Amino acid sequence: MVQGKQQMKEYFALQFNMINRRFRDGGVVPIFAYFIFAIGFYLLSNFLFKTTEFAVYLYPFLYINLIGRLSETQRCEFLTICFGDNQFKKIRIAENLIFTIPFVSFLLYKQLIIPILFILLVSLILALLNFRTKFNYTIYSPFSKRPFEFTTGFRNTFPLLILAYVLVIIAASVNNFNLGIFSLMIVFGSSFSFYLSTENEYFVWSYNLNPRNFLINKIKTALLYSAALTIPIVVLLSFYFQQNIGLLFIFLLIGWGWVICGIVTKYSSYPNEINIPNGMLLALCLTLPPMLVILTPILFYKAEKRLENILK
Amino acid sequence: MSYGNHSILKNINIEFDEGKVYGIVGKNGAGKTSLFRCIAGLEKYDGIINSSHYPIKNHLGLLPTEPFFFEKITGKEYIQLLCNARKKPINDIERNNVFDLPLNQYATTYSTGMKKKLALTAILLQRNEYFILDEPFNGVDIESNILLTEIIHTLKKLGKTIVISSHIFSTLSDTCDEINLLNEGSIIKSVQREDFQLLEKEMKQMTVGNRIEKLGLL
Repeated sequence: MVQGKQQMKEYFALQFNMINRRFRDGGVVPIFAYFIFAIGFYLLSNFLFKTTEFAVYLYPFLYINLIGRLSETQRCEFLTICFGDNQFKKIRIAENLIFTIPFVSFLLYKQLIIPILFILLVSLILALLNFRTKFNYTIYSPFSKRPFEFTTGFRNTFPLLILAYVLVIIAASVNNFNLGIFSLMIVFGSSFSFYLSTENEYFVWSYNLNPRNFLINKIKTALLYSAALTIPIVVLLSFYFQQNIGLLFIFLLIGWGWVICGIVTKYSSYPNEINIPNGMLLALCLTLPPMLVILTPILFYKAEKRLENILK
Repeated sequence: MSYGNHSILKNINIEFDEGKVYGIVGKNGAGKTSLFRCIAGLEKYDGIINSSHYPIKNHLGLLPTEPFFFEKITGKEYIQLLCNARKKPINDIERNNVFDLPLNQYATTYSTGMKKKLALTAILLQRNEYFILDEPFNGVDIESNILLTEIIHTLKKLGKTIVISSHIFSTLSDTCDEINLLNEGSIIKSVQREDFQLLEKEMKQMTVGNRIEKLGLL
């Protein structure tokens, strides 16, 4: 029993150290990163709850989507081998509960008790079920012709995309344009996230393209596939909110701007992960979309220079 | 090529001809993978590498010792990705699936040998002029080893240049025209096909020495 507690303590201490190390490697003091995260989480949550009355249903869904990644088959198998079945379950429950902290704190602040109970219940069930192992089949992806970002990204986030489509139907039925725009931004936010992790250099090196054409090729694919994902939303919103088509078009441009900016930011630090200065520029573009017009070409130029080492 | 003040490769002067198969042997850490990465342009180095097809990287099929695969990408999509990268259209992946791989499954679920066969299939479908195969026989079943040997013979007939590293001497003697011995970053010996047996004997003597006696089993 004592040994089990010690094992868990050591496991979480190791995870904590690994996270802190990542921040330090990126040039950020961990305490500062946690502070920024807390502020960002509060602002986004507040935005969500102000935008739509359905936030109360969306919030648990976002939580489930987040902790779903902790149930990856290989990860679970590794933990079971290391700690044994009983200890593994305790670790998974503890992990899921740790991830509830920001969500539960915000819901407490909003005095919403039922979603809190739901989130806690779901965190326990998902820790014990390990459903991803049982349903380990290949999910169809409509983006197989031009792998890999959208191919893998779609498979990782399809529940979120389904949610976006459900939301836009609700937006049309309750005549809430803001909710429709929110669903559009969920799709663009997902597409943007597909480009954030750095791929192995082999998959850049393999390209028979110079840096500029490589970046243009990536951008073309991203625009094409993100357009394909947003078509149902755009069609529905254009039909039901004809008076707001101009605004819809602006949000489309912002969404594509985010995706392009995500791509050039990633490769401006390549093969390293996005560094702090470039990450800050990216954050600036996300919060102040007009900055996209100025910063995207700068980051594109930096990315082109950076890729010259690999794509000669 | 060096890391800080420490040189990994020193005075490498080697020529690879078209339609020939070259073996690179050496202990772990001798510099084989570093040499391959330099040729591929994945590492910086001092010196010159010339080739009839330029840049080499766009005509080179590189099979790493441990190929990398994305989570949630199928075998078919992996091949598609690498062929797209080289602008090589593929008409019928299923027909080209000579190793009978489950191409619609996620590549990360494959065994070590299957992963290697998938990576090899992809670089073959890229229709490269040069091939660097780092430990291609490792973890691959005996049937596929036979097939792989035949593929190498076919590539040779097609005038391709192939460089292979392997720790299994027989796989090299079956396929190579020349074997180069790499030691501490330098090529210390180049041996032609007719002298392979001699090289094997020499390597055996050098490697085994009196180590078995030291074990005290006899």
